[in-house]
Amino acid sequence: MAFRPRRALAVFWKDFLDLRKNVGLLVSMAVLPAVMVLVPIAVVWTYVNTPNSADLRSVAQFYDPTLPLGASAARFLIDKTLTDWFGLFLVMPVFVPILIASQSVAGEKERRTLEPLLASPVTAAELVAGKSLAALVPAVVITWVAFILFCVGVDIVAWPLVQGPLMPNALWTFGVLVIAPLFAFFGNGVAVLISARVSEARMAQQISALVVLPLVGMVGGQVAGILKAGLGFYALQGAVVLVLDAVLLVASIRLLDRERLVSRWG
Amino acid sequence: MSGIDVRGLGKRFGERVAVEGLTFHVRPGEVFGLLGPNGAGKTTTVRMLTGLLSPTEGEAVVWGHRVDRDGEGLRKVVGLLTEQPGLYERLTARENLRFFMKLHELDESKAWPRTQHYLERFGLGGREEEPVGGFSKGMRQKLAIVRTLVHDPSVIFLDEPTSGLDPESARTVRDAVAELASEGRTIVLCSHNLAEVERLCERVAVVKRRLLLMGPVRELRRSGQALDVRVDGEAERFRVALAALPFAPNVLAEGMRLRVMLEDESHAPDVLACLVGAGARVHSAVPAQRPLEEVYLDLLREEGV
Repeated sequence: MAFRPRRALAVFWKDFLDLRKNVGLLVSMAVLPAVMVLVPIAVVWTYVNTPNSADLRSVAQFYDPTLPLGASAARFLIDKTLTDWFGLFLVMPVFVPILIASQSVAGEKERRTLEPLLASPVTAAELVAGKSLAALVPAVVITWVAFILFCVGVDIVAWPLVQGPLMPNALWTFGVLVIAPLFAFFGNGVAVLISARVSEARMAQQISALVVLPLVGMVGGQVAGILKAGLGFYALQGAVVLVLDAVLLVASIRLLDRERLVSRWG
Repeated sequence: MSGIDVRGLGKRFGERVAVEGLTFHVRPGEVFGLLGPNGAGKTTTVRMLTGLLSPTEGEAVVWGHRVDRDGEGLRKVVGLLTEQPGLYERLTARENLRFFMKLHELDESKAWPRTQHYLERFGLGGREEEPVGGFSKGMRQKLAIVRTLVHDPSVIFLDEPTSGLDPESARTVRDAVAELASEGRTIVLCSHNLAEVERLCERVAVVKRRLLLMGPVRELRRSGQALDVRVDGEAERFRVALAALPFAPNVLAEGMRLRVMLEDESHAPDVLACLVGAGARVHSAVPAQRPLEEVYLDLLREEGV
């Protein structure tokens, strides 16, 4: 069966339209980016406002006992926060598509719209493509907008100490432009896969959301000083996720097979 | 090949047999009733004929498309009205319909006027921009019917099309079904409303996992060898004369009507001759008809359903 982009775009059009009218979901989607942007700005602001605190030096020396006495502990901690925070920031491109894709796939079952949809000429691959686009485009756009706001916010609050722009740096630019879309694809793939197996959107969201736990765990490891994050660390994560994305894509197309969906949920 | 041609069609889900050995043909322009109790396999049959499920045995060709080989081509010529309207509630009526136009890759400038015609016909004209979430059950059902027709399908499967509709809307739907059939489309109607099936369908098939009965509605409704006769005046006057006939063991009279049970259909002229001989003026004599519902329920009783 030939892949017809027009039909995939039709699915994207409908899901995107539905998303725009789903106020509850839009509010849920806005909370996480707000937290991801405001919290690190507040942390940086705290460091900037107490640059000579002895406590800051103690914390900095916990992470780097060789920190020279003349070096600014506040500046060190700002850099460390920005590097570590990227790991948490990646939760956003994973989580937003989970919110959307769970609604769009399991939601079709809940609303009993699946059978009329499957009775149309749309193929499983077109359905996966359309629904994935409808989850990925908002997720990536939200991530990029949040990144811009994050950069502006951090630069404004850090300016008095740094006297220059801190953001965007190489890690964040590479991460947000390359790694974040891969993570978004991963979140979407997990949500599509789980949505195809469960009957309710809420259940799909709850189960899919568990995939962010390893990310949070890794950030915990960084904060505890067990893991040392950097460009290479995140690039490795991206490579692993790229492989998982390919596996999820194939599995999603297989699971969104008409026969399977109709005999189970139709 | 036009119409629907089904040969030995069957479907198993693991060990469970949902449908087996179905064989029937539906002509273009025919309204065909698919009847059966809940769980009889009607929905599974429709799903196989619309390319949603693959048969595990037999074959079916719908408007020239093999259901097991050309699902995509099949779905382009088939329209399916499911039991639940299955509409997107946050979207407007127009957006719901446009979505299906896009899925069928239609030129919306051409498809919309035809769709608009159906919207007007079903009383939804002027409601296109309203979210479907605010529609009544009947309006949703009518919109779902319009959605079934957006791509001008040649074969239409309707599952309980008048469910939730008021009598006037139900009549509009029935008229539309008849009109669609008169345009040469093949229509398969699944309904528990047997009076509606009786009015709309030329032939019906009763299924209970397998085909129990199939035939023209008129023939199925024929009540054995009985004859309904309408005479001038009180029919009771002629009952005694008819009861004397050796081949008419049972005669019922009510008002101007007589129902004569015959041992053999060939005795009908003798009945009329007897009535005329007894001084009756005969207005009409037709084979007795039973309601389809009675035929259907008797059949299921015989089958132990």
